Amino acid sequence: MNASTVWLSCGVLRDELGELYRQGQISGELRFLDSMLHMDPLQLQTKLKESLGQPGPSGGRLILVYGDCCGRMLDLVREYRVGRVNAINCAQMLLGRTRYRELMKAESFILLPEWARRWKEIIQTELGLSADVAHDLMRENRSELVYLNTGLAPVPRLELAECAAYTGLPCRIEPVGLDQLLNFLVEAESAASIRSKGEVGP
Amino acid sequence: MKLSDDVNFQSWSEQLYKIMMNADRQGASDLISLSMTKGLSSEQIIVKLLDPALVKLGILWEKESVSLAQTFVAAKIAEDILLRCVPEVSMAHNNPVVIGNIEDDFHSLGRRIVATFLRASGWNVYDIGNDVPAEDFVDKALEVGAVVIGASAMMQTTALNIRKLREVIDSRGLRGRIKLAVGGAVFNWRPDLVAEVGGDGTANNAIGANALFLKLQAEAKGALIQ
Repeated sequence: MNASTVWLSCGVLRDELGELYRQGQISGELRFLDSMLHMDPLQLQTKLKESLGQPGPSGGRLILVYGDCCGRMLDLVREYRVGRVNAINCAQMLLGRTRYRELMKAESFILLPEWARRWKEIIQTELGLSADVAHDLMRENRSELVYLNTGLAPVPRLELAECAAYTGLPCRIEPVGLDQLLNFLVEAESAASIRSKGEVGP
Repeated sequence: MKLSDDVNFQSWSEQLYKIMMNADRQGASDLISLSMTKGLSSEQIIVKLLDPALVKLGILWEKESVSLAQTFVAAKIAEDILLRCVPEVSMAHNNPVVIGNIEDDFHSLGRRIVATFLRASGWNVYDIGNDVPAEDFVDKALEVGAVVIGASAMMQTTALNIRKLREVIDSRGLRGRIKLAVGGAVFNWRPDLVAEVGGDGTANNAIGANALFLKLQAEAKGALIQ
Protein backbone atom coordinates (compact mmCIF):
# COMPACT_ATOMS: atom_id res chain seq x y z
CA MET A 1 0.00 0.00 0.00
CA ASN A 2 1.21 3.44 -0.95
CA ALA A 3 1.49 6.20 1.64
CA SER A 4 0.48 8.86 -0.87
CA THR A 5 -2.78 7.22 -1.82
CA VAL A 6 -5.98 9.12 -1.13
CA TRP A 7 -9.07 6.98 -0.56
CA LEU A 8 -12.22 8.94 -1.33
CA SER A 9 -15.02 6.84 0.06
CA CYS A 10 -18.70 6.75 0.78
CA GLY A 11 -19.25 7.34 4.49
CA VAL A 12 -21.08 4.03 4.71
CA LEU A 13 -17.67 2.33 4.91
CA ARG A 14 -16.08 4.79 7.34
CA ASP A 15 -15.64 2.28 10.19
CA GLU A 16 -14.40 -0.48 7.90
CA LEU A 17 -11.80 1.64 6.11
CA GLY A 18 -10.78 3.15 9.44
CA GLU A 19 -10.18 -0.32 10.83
CA LEU A 20 -8.08 -1.40 7.84
CA TYR A 21 -6.10 1.80 8.21
CA ARG A 22 -5.63 1.21 11.94
CA GLN A 23 -4.41 -2.32 11.21
CA GLY A 24 -1.92 -0.96 8.70
CA GLN A 25 -3.56 -2.85 5.84
CA ILE A 26 -4.00 0.38 3.92
CA SER A 27 -2.13 3.64 4.20
CA GLY A 28 -2.45 7.14 2.87
CA GLU A 29 -5.31 9.53 3.52
CA LEU A 30 -8.98 8.68 4.09
CA ARG A 31 -11.65 11.09 2.88
CA PHE A 32 -15.37 10.49 3.24
CA LEU A 33 -18.58 11.92 1.82
CA ASP A 34 -22.00 11.64 3.44
CA SER A 35 -23.50 8.22 2.78
CA MET A 36 -26.96 9.71 2.32
CA LEU A 37 -25.77 11.13 -1.02
CA HIS A 38 -26.47 7.61 -2.28
CA MET A 39 -30.16 8.53 -2.27
CA ASP A 40 -29.56 11.44 -4.66
CA PRO A 41 -27.25 10.30 -7.46
CA LEU A 42 -27.06 13.70 -9.16
CA GLN A 43 -26.05 15.37 -5.93
CA LEU A 44 -23.50 12.61 -5.32
CA GLN A 45 -22.04 13.20 -8.77
CA THR A 46 -21.74 16.92 -8.06
CA LYS A 47 -20.02 16.33 -4.72
CA LEU A 48 -17.65 13.81 -6.24
CA LYS A 49 -16.69 16.27 -8.95
CA GLU A 50 -16.02 18.92 -6.32
CA SER A 51 -13.83 16.54 -4.36
CA LEU A 52 -11.99 15.27 -7.43
CA GLY A 53 -11.33 18.84 -8.50
CA GLN A 54 -9.37 19.51 -5.32
CA PRO A 55 -5.61 19.06 -5.35
CA GLY A 56 -4.81 15.37 -5.14
CA PRO A 57 -1.72 13.54 -4.03
CA SER A 58 1.21 14.44 -6.23
CA GLY A 59 3.14 11.37 -7.22
CA GLY A 60 0.38 9.22 -5.74
CA ARG A 61 -3.03 7.82 -6.48
CA LEU A 62 -6.59 8.75 -5.76
CA ILE A 63 -8.98 5.83 -5.42
CA LEU A 64 -12.76 6.11 -5.36
CA VAL A 65 -14.23 3.66 -2.89
CA TYR A 66 -17.63 3.77 -4.49
CA GLY A 67 -19.83 1.34 -6.29
CA ASP A 68 -21.69 2.33 -9.40
CA CYS A 69 -23.74 4.82 -7.42
CA CYS A 70 -24.33 7.62 -9.92
CA GLY A 71 -24.98 7.74 -13.64
CA ARG A 72 -21.50 8.83 -14.65
CA MET A 73 -19.26 7.07 -12.17
CA LEU A 74 -17.13 5.44 -14.87
CA ASP A 75 -16.92 8.73 -16.75
CA LEU A 76 -15.62 10.45 -13.61
CA VAL A 77 -12.91 7.84 -13.30
CA ARG A 78 -11.84 8.43 -16.89
CA GLU A 79 -12.19 12.19 -16.75
CA TYR A 80 -10.19 12.68 -13.57
CA ARG A 81 -7.82 9.75 -14.20
CA VAL A 82 -8.40 8.20 -10.79
CA GLY A 83 -8.78 4.63 -9.65
CA ARG A 84 -11.95 2.98 -8.43
CA VAL A 85 -12.81 -0.29 -6.76
CA ASN A 86 -14.30 -2.66 -9.28
CA ALA A 87 -17.55 -3.34 -7.41
CA ILE A 88 -21.19 -2.68 -8.09
CA ASN A 89 -21.90 -1.36 -4.61
CA CYS A 90 -20.75 -1.30 -1.01
CA ALA A 91 -22.48 -4.58 -0.15
CA GLN A 92 -20.53 -6.36 -2.87
CA MET A 93 -17.31 -4.82 -1.51
CA LEU A 94 -17.93 -6.38 1.89
CA LEU A 95 -19.28 -9.70 0.67
CA GLY A 96 -17.23 -10.36 -2.44
CA ARG A 97 -18.79 -11.18 -5.80
CA THR A 98 -19.74 -14.79 -5.10
CA ARG A 99 -21.56 -14.28 -1.80
CA TYR A 100 -23.19 -11.09 -3.07
CA ARG A 101 -24.60 -12.96 -6.06
CA GLU A 102 -25.87 -15.74 -3.80
CA LEU A 103 -27.71 -13.27 -1.60
CA MET A 104 -29.15 -11.45 -4.58
CA LYS A 105 -30.39 -14.73 -6.03
CA ALA A 106 -32.03 -15.37 -2.68
CA GLU A 107 -33.69 -11.92 -3.00
CA SER A 108 -32.08 -10.68 0.20
CA PHE A 109 -32.21 -7.00 1.08
CA ILE A 110 -28.81 -6.13 2.50
CA LEU A 111 -28.29 -3.66 5.30
CA LEU A 112 -24.85 -2.33 6.13
CA PRO A 113 -24.36 -1.09 9.69
CA GLU A 114 -24.84 2.56 8.80
CA TRP A 115 -27.89 1.85 6.61
CA ALA A 116 -29.43 -0.14 9.45
CA ARG A 117 -28.95 2.74 11.88
CA ARG A 118 -30.49 5.18 9.38
CA TRP A 119 -33.24 2.94 7.98
CA LYS A 120 -36.07 5.35 8.84
CA GLU A 121 -34.29 8.17 7.04
CA ILE A 122 -33.95 5.98 3.95
CA ILE A 123 -37.23 4.12 3.79
CA GLN A 124 -39.61 6.64 5.27
CA THR A 125 -38.09 10.00 4.42
CA GLU A 126 -36.07 9.47 1.25
CA LEU A 127 -38.20 6.78 -0.42
CA GLY A 128 -41.48 7.99 1.08
CA LEU A 129 -42.74 4.49 1.81
CA SER A 130 -45.59 4.19 4.28
CA ALA A 131 -45.72 0.99 6.32
CA ASP A 132 -48.40 -0.52 4.06
CA VAL A 133 -46.54 0.29 0.85
CA ALA A 134 -43.17 -0.77 2.28
CA HIS A 135 -44.74 -4.03 3.36
CA ASP A 136 -46.20 -4.74 -0.08
CA LEU A 137 -43.15 -3.60 -1.97
CA MET A 138 -40.60 -5.47 0.08
CA ARG A 139 -42.60 -8.66 0.44
CA GLU A 140 -43.09 -8.82 -3.32
CA ASN A 141 -39.47 -8.15 -4.19
CA ARG A 142 -37.41 -9.43 -1.28
CA SER A 143 -37.33 -12.47 0.95
CA GLU A 144 -35.32 -11.29 3.96
CA LEU A 145 -33.29 -8.53 5.51
CA VAL A 146 -29.63 -9.42 5.97
CA TYR A 147 -27.57 -7.27 8.30
CA LEU A 148 -23.85 -7.42 7.55
CA ASN A 149 -22.12 -7.46 10.88
CA THR A 150 -18.54 -6.31 10.48
CA GLY A 151 -18.09 -6.45 14.25
CA LEU A 152 -16.95 -2.84 14.38
CA ALA A 153 -20.12 -1.48 15.92
CA PRO A 154 -22.77 -2.93 18.22
CA VAL A 155 -25.51 -4.67 16.26
CA PRO A 156 -28.43 -2.19 16.21
CA ARG A 157 -30.97 -4.78 17.28
CA LEU A 158 -33.76 -2.33 18.03
CA GLU A 159 -33.47 -0.65 14.63
CA LEU A 160 -33.31 -4.02 12.86
CA ALA A 161 -36.44 -5.18 14.65
CA GLU A 162 -38.23 -1.95 13.73
CA CYS A 163 -37.14 -2.23 10.11
CA ALA A 164 -38.25 -5.87 9.96
CA ALA A 165 -41.65 -4.97 11.37
CA TYR A 166 -42.03 -2.04 8.97
CA THR A 167 -41.14 -4.06 5.88
CA GLY A 168 -42.67 -7.35 6.94
CA LEU A 169 -39.45 -9.22 6.21
CA PRO A 170 -37.59 -11.54 8.56
CA CYS A 171 -34.17 -10.26 9.53
CA ARG A 172 -30.98 -12.19 10.13
CA ILE A 173 -27.43 -11.21 10.92
CA GLU A 174 -24.54 -12.37 8.76
CA PRO A 175 -21.00 -11.92 10.10
CA VAL A 176 -18.62 -10.52 7.51
CA GLY A 177 -14.90 -9.84 7.68
CA LEU A 178 -12.90 -7.16 5.93
CA ASP A 179 -10.90 -9.49 3.67
CA GLN A 180 -13.10 -9.00 0.62
CA LEU A 181 -13.08 -5.23 1.04
CA LEU A 182 -9.30 -5.27 1.36
CA ASN A 183 -9.03 -7.33 -1.84
CA PHE A 184 -11.07 -4.75 -3.74
CA LEU A 185 -8.91 -1.93 -2.34
CA VAL A 186 -5.61 -3.64 -3.16
CA GLU A 187 -6.79 -4.47 -6.66
CA ALA A 188 -7.92 -0.87 -7.26
CA GLU A 189 -4.69 0.61 -5.98
CA SER A 190 -2.59 -1.69 -8.14
CA ALA A 191 -4.55 -0.78 -11.23
CA ALA A 192 -4.67 2.98 -10.62
CA SER A 193 -2.30 5.24 -12.45
CA ILE A 194 -0.01 7.53 -10.53
CA ARG A 195 -0.87 11.19 -10.80
CA SER A 196 1.82 13.54 -11.88
CA LYS A 197 3.02 16.24 -9.54
CA GLY A 198 0.50 19.06 -9.12
CA GLU A 199 -2.24 17.36 -11.09
CA VAL A 200 -5.60 18.45 -9.77
CA GLY A 201 -8.30 17.47 -12.17
CA PRO A 202 -9.32 16.62 -15.70
CA MET B 1 -80.65 4.31 -20.29
CA LYS B 2 -77.88 2.24 -18.72
CA LEU B 3 -76.55 2.96 -15.26
CA SER B 4 -73.11 3.66 -16.75
CA ASP B 5 -74.57 6.55 -18.78
CA ASP B 6 -74.61 8.49 -15.51
CA VAL B 7 -70.86 8.11 -15.07
CA ASN B 8 -68.62 11.04 -15.90
CA PHE B 9 -65.58 9.08 -17.07
CA GLN B 10 -63.24 12.04 -16.88
CA SER B 11 -64.18 12.74 -13.30
CA TRP B 12 -63.86 9.09 -12.29
CA SER B 13 -60.49 8.76 -13.99
CA GLU B 14 -59.40 11.91 -12.17
CA GLN B 15 -60.44 10.27 -8.90
CA LEU B 16 -58.45 7.17 -9.76
CA TYR B 17 -55.41 9.30 -10.57
CA LYS B 18 -55.67 11.08 -7.20
CA ILE B 19 -55.97 7.74 -5.44
CA MET B 20 -52.80 6.56 -7.21
CA MET B 21 -50.96 9.70 -6.18
CA ASN B 22 -51.99 9.04 -2.59
CA ALA B 23 -50.63 5.50 -2.94
CA ASP B 24 -54.04 4.23 -1.78
CA ARG B 25 -54.44 0.70 -3.13
CA GLN B 26 -57.61 -0.04 -1.16
CA GLY B 27 -59.17 3.21 -2.33
CA ALA B 28 -58.59 2.16 -5.92
CA SER B 29 -60.17 -1.21 -5.30
CA ASP B 30 -63.23 0.48 -3.77
CA LEU B 31 -63.54 2.81 -6.74
CA ILE B 32 -63.39 -0.06 -9.22
CA SER B 33 -66.01 -1.99 -7.25
CA LEU B 34 -68.23 1.05 -7.31
CA SER B 35 -67.72 1.53 -11.04
CA MET B 36 -68.73 -2.08 -11.60
CA THR B 37 -71.90 -1.66 -9.58
CA LYS B 38 -72.61 1.41 -11.72
CA GLY B 39 -72.57 -0.91 -14.71
CA LEU B 40 -69.22 -0.01 -16.27
CA SER B 41 -67.84 -2.76 -18.44
CA SER B 42 -64.32 -4.10 -17.91
CA GLU B 43 -63.23 -2.47 -21.14
CA GLN B 44 -64.65 0.90 -20.05
CA ILE B 45 -62.80 0.64 -16.74
CA ILE B 46 -59.50 -0.04 -18.47
CA VAL B 47 -59.83 2.34 -21.40
CA LYS B 48 -61.75 5.22 -19.84
CA LEU B 49 -60.59 5.14 -16.21
CA LEU B 50 -57.22 3.42 -15.95
CA ASP B 51 -55.53 4.50 -19.18
CA PRO B 52 -56.09 8.25 -18.77
CA ALA B 53 -54.93 8.08 -15.15
CA LEU B 54 -51.75 6.31 -16.22
CA VAL B 55 -51.10 8.81 -19.00
CA LYS B 56 -51.41 11.64 -16.50
CA LEU B 57 -49.06 9.84 -14.13
CA GLY B 58 -46.58 9.41 -16.99
CA ILE B 59 -46.61 13.13 -17.69
CA LEU B 60 -45.86 13.82 -14.05
CA TRP B 61 -43.05 11.29 -14.15
CA GLU B 62 -41.43 13.24 -16.96
CA LYS B 63 -41.22 16.15 -14.55
CA GLU B 64 -39.65 13.84 -11.95
CA SER B 65 -42.47 14.55 -9.53
CA VAL B 66 -43.48 10.98 -8.79
CA SER B 67 -42.02 9.03 -5.90
CA LEU B 68 -41.04 5.39 -5.80
CA ALA B 69 -44.01 4.71 -3.55
CA GLN B 70 -46.45 6.32 -5.97
CA THR B 71 -44.96 4.44 -8.91
CA PHE B 72 -45.09 1.12 -7.16
CA VAL B 73 -48.64 1.59 -5.96
CA ALA B 74 -49.76 2.82 -9.39
CA ALA B 75 -48.37 -0.37 -10.89
CA LYS B 76 -50.08 -2.48 -8.27
CA ILE B 77 -53.36 -0.67 -8.82
CA ALA B 78 -53.06 -1.24 -12.56
CA GLU B 79 -52.33 -4.91 -11.90
CA ASP B 80 -55.28 -5.22 -9.50
CA ILE B 81 -57.64 -3.68 -12.03
CA LEU B 82 -56.37 -5.89 -14.81
CA LEU B 83 -56.73 -9.03 -12.76
CA ARG B 84 -60.33 -8.12 -12.20
CA CYS B 85 -61.08 -6.95 -15.71
CA VAL B 86 -58.80 -8.61 -18.23
CA PRO B 87 -60.47 -12.07 -18.27
CA GLU B 88 -63.52 -10.36 -19.68
CA VAL B 89 -61.67 -8.17 -22.14
CA SER B 90 -60.77 -9.50 -25.55
CA MET B 91 -58.84 -6.46 -26.70
CA ALA B 92 -55.44 -7.86 -25.65
CA HIS B 93 -53.20 -8.62 -28.64
CA ASN B 94 -51.21 -11.12 -26.53
CA ASN B 95 -47.99 -10.74 -28.51
CA PRO B 96 -44.99 -12.28 -26.75
CA VAL B 97 -42.18 -10.16 -25.35
CA VAL B 98 -39.12 -11.12 -23.30
CA ILE B 99 -37.81 -8.95 -20.49
CA GLY B 100 -35.11 -9.37 -17.86
CA ASN B 101 -32.27 -7.70 -16.00
CA ILE B 102 -28.96 -8.11 -17.76
CA GLU B 103 -26.12 -10.15 -16.27
CA ASP B 104 -24.88 -8.82 -12.90
CA ASP B 105 -27.91 -6.57 -12.45
CA PHE B 106 -30.25 -7.41 -9.60
CA HIS B 107 -32.55 -4.39 -9.47
CA SER B 108 -35.82 -6.12 -10.19
CA LEU B 109 -38.35 -3.54 -9.07
CA GLY B 110 -38.32 -1.43 -12.23
CA ARG B 111 -38.47 -4.51 -14.43
CA ARG B 112 -41.43 -5.89 -12.52
CA ILE B 113 -43.28 -2.60 -12.83
CA VAL B 114 -42.59 -2.59 -16.58
CA ALA B 115 -43.93 -6.16 -16.79
CA THR B 116 -47.10 -5.07 -15.06
CA PHE B 117 -47.71 -2.19 -17.44
CA LEU B 118 -46.91 -4.33 -20.48
CA ARG B 119 -49.36 -6.99 -19.34
CA ALA B 120 -51.87 -4.21 -18.77
CA SER B 121 -51.40 -3.26 -22.40
CA GLY B 122 -52.02 -6.77 -23.66
CA TRP B 123 -48.52 -8.21 -24.03
CA ASN B 124 -47.74 -11.80 -23.18
CA VAL B 125 -44.73 -11.05 -20.98
CA TYR B 126 -41.98 -13.61 -20.43
CA ASP B 127 -40.09 -12.20 -17.46
CA ILE B 128 -36.84 -14.14 -17.19
CA GLY B 129 -35.63 -12.45 -14.01
CA ASN B 130 -32.38 -10.97 -12.73
CA ASP B 131 -28.78 -11.52 -13.72
CA VAL B 132 -29.64 -13.02 -17.10
CA PRO B 133 -26.84 -13.92 -19.55
CA ALA B 134 -27.16 -12.40 -23.03
CA GLU B 135 -27.64 -15.76 -24.73
CA ASP B 136 -30.63 -16.59 -22.55
CA PHE B 137 -32.52 -13.48 -23.70
CA VAL B 138 -32.13 -14.47 -27.34
CA ASP B 139 -32.85 -18.15 -26.75
CA LYS B 140 -36.08 -17.26 -24.97
CA ALA B 141 -37.14 -14.78 -27.65
CA LEU B 142 -36.64 -17.41 -30.35
CA GLU B 143 -38.47 -20.02 -28.28
CA VAL B 144 -41.59 -17.91 -27.74
CA GLY B 145 -41.49 -15.99 -31.00
CA ALA B 146 -40.86 -12.57 -29.47
CA VAL B 147 -39.58 -9.84 -31.77
CA VAL B 148 -38.81 -7.43 -28.94
CA ILE B 149 -36.44 -8.02 -26.03
CA GLY B 150 -36.41 -5.64 -23.07
CA ALA B 151 -33.13 -5.53 -21.13
CA SER B 152 -33.00 -3.63 -17.87
CA ALA B 153 -29.99 -2.27 -16.01
CA MET B 154 -29.89 0.22 -13.22
CA MET B 155 -26.23 1.18 -13.30
CA GLN B 156 -23.63 2.18 -15.84
CA THR B 157 -21.41 -0.85 -15.29
CA THR B 158 -24.23 -3.33 -15.67
CA ALA B 159 -25.75 -1.38 -18.56
CA LEU B 160 -22.52 -1.97 -20.46
CA ASN B 161 -23.18 -5.70 -20.19
CA ILE B 162 -26.09 -5.13 -22.60
CA ARG B 163 -23.48 -4.70 -25.34
CA LYS B 164 -23.02 -8.46 -25.23
CA LEU B 165 -26.73 -8.95 -25.86
CA ARG B 166 -26.45 -6.67 -28.89
CA GLU B 167 -23.53 -8.77 -30.11
CA VAL B 168 -25.44 -12.03 -29.65
CA ILE B 169 -28.47 -10.70 -31.54
CA ASP B 170 -26.25 -9.53 -34.37
CA SER B 171 -24.02 -12.60 -34.47
CA ARG B 172 -27.07 -14.81 -34.91
CA GLY B 173 -28.21 -12.73 -37.87
CA LEU B 174 -31.22 -11.35 -36.01
CA ARG B 175 -30.46 -7.64 -36.22
CA GLY B 176 -33.62 -5.83 -37.22
CA ARG B 177 -35.72 -8.95 -36.76
CA ILE B 178 -35.40 -8.88 -32.98
CA LYS B 179 -35.43 -5.39 -31.52
CA LEU B 180 -33.66 -4.45 -28.32
CA ALA B 181 -35.39 -2.12 -25.87
CA VAL B 182 -33.23 -0.96 -22.98
CA GLY B 183 -34.29 0.67 -19.76
CA GLY B 184 -33.43 1.45 -16.18
CA ALA B 185 -32.52 4.48 -14.16
CA VAL B 186 -29.11 4.98 -15.71
CA PHE B 187 -30.60 5.47 -19.18
CA ASN B 188 -32.66 8.37 -17.88
CA TRP B 189 -29.59 9.96 -16.32
CA ARG B 190 -27.59 9.58 -19.51
CA PRO B 191 -29.60 8.87 -22.67
CA ASP B 192 -26.41 8.59 -24.76
CA LEU B 193 -25.91 5.19 -23.16
CA VAL B 194 -28.77 3.74 -25.25
CA ALA B 195 -26.68 3.98 -28.41
CA GLU B 196 -23.49 3.02 -26.58
CA VAL B 197 -24.92 -0.36 -25.55
CA GLY B 198 -26.61 -0.93 -28.92
CA GLY B 199 -30.20 -0.38 -27.83
CA ASP B 200 -32.89 0.24 -30.43
CA GLY B 201 -34.85 2.48 -28.08
CA THR B 202 -35.78 3.29 -24.53
CA ALA B 203 -38.67 4.72 -22.54
CA ASN B 204 -38.26 7.15 -19.70
CA ASN B 205 -40.65 5.24 -17.51
CA ALA B 206 -42.67 2.05 -17.19
CA ILE B 207 -45.81 3.66 -18.48
CA GLY B 208 -44.05 4.51 -21.74
CA ALA B 209 -42.89 0.94 -22.26
CA ASN B 210 -45.99 -0.11 -24.21
CA ALA B 211 -45.58 2.62 -26.83
CA LEU B 212 -41.89 1.79 -27.22
CA PHE B 213 -42.51 -1.94 -27.57
CA LEU B 214 -45.31 -1.39 -30.09
CA LYS B 215 -43.01 0.83 -32.16
CA LEU B 216 -40.16 -1.70 -32.05
CA GLN B 217 -42.51 -4.55 -32.85
CA ALA B 218 -43.77 -2.68 -35.91
CA GLU B 219 -40.19 -2.04 -37.02
CA ALA B 220 -39.24 -5.70 -36.55
CA LYS B 221 -42.27 -6.92 -38.46
CA GLY B 222 -41.51 -4.40 -41.18
CA ALA B 223 -37.99 -5.82 -41.40
CA LEU B 224 -39.40 -9.34 -41.69
CA ILE B 225 -41.69 -8.32 -44.56
CA GLN B 226 -38.77 -6.73 -46.39
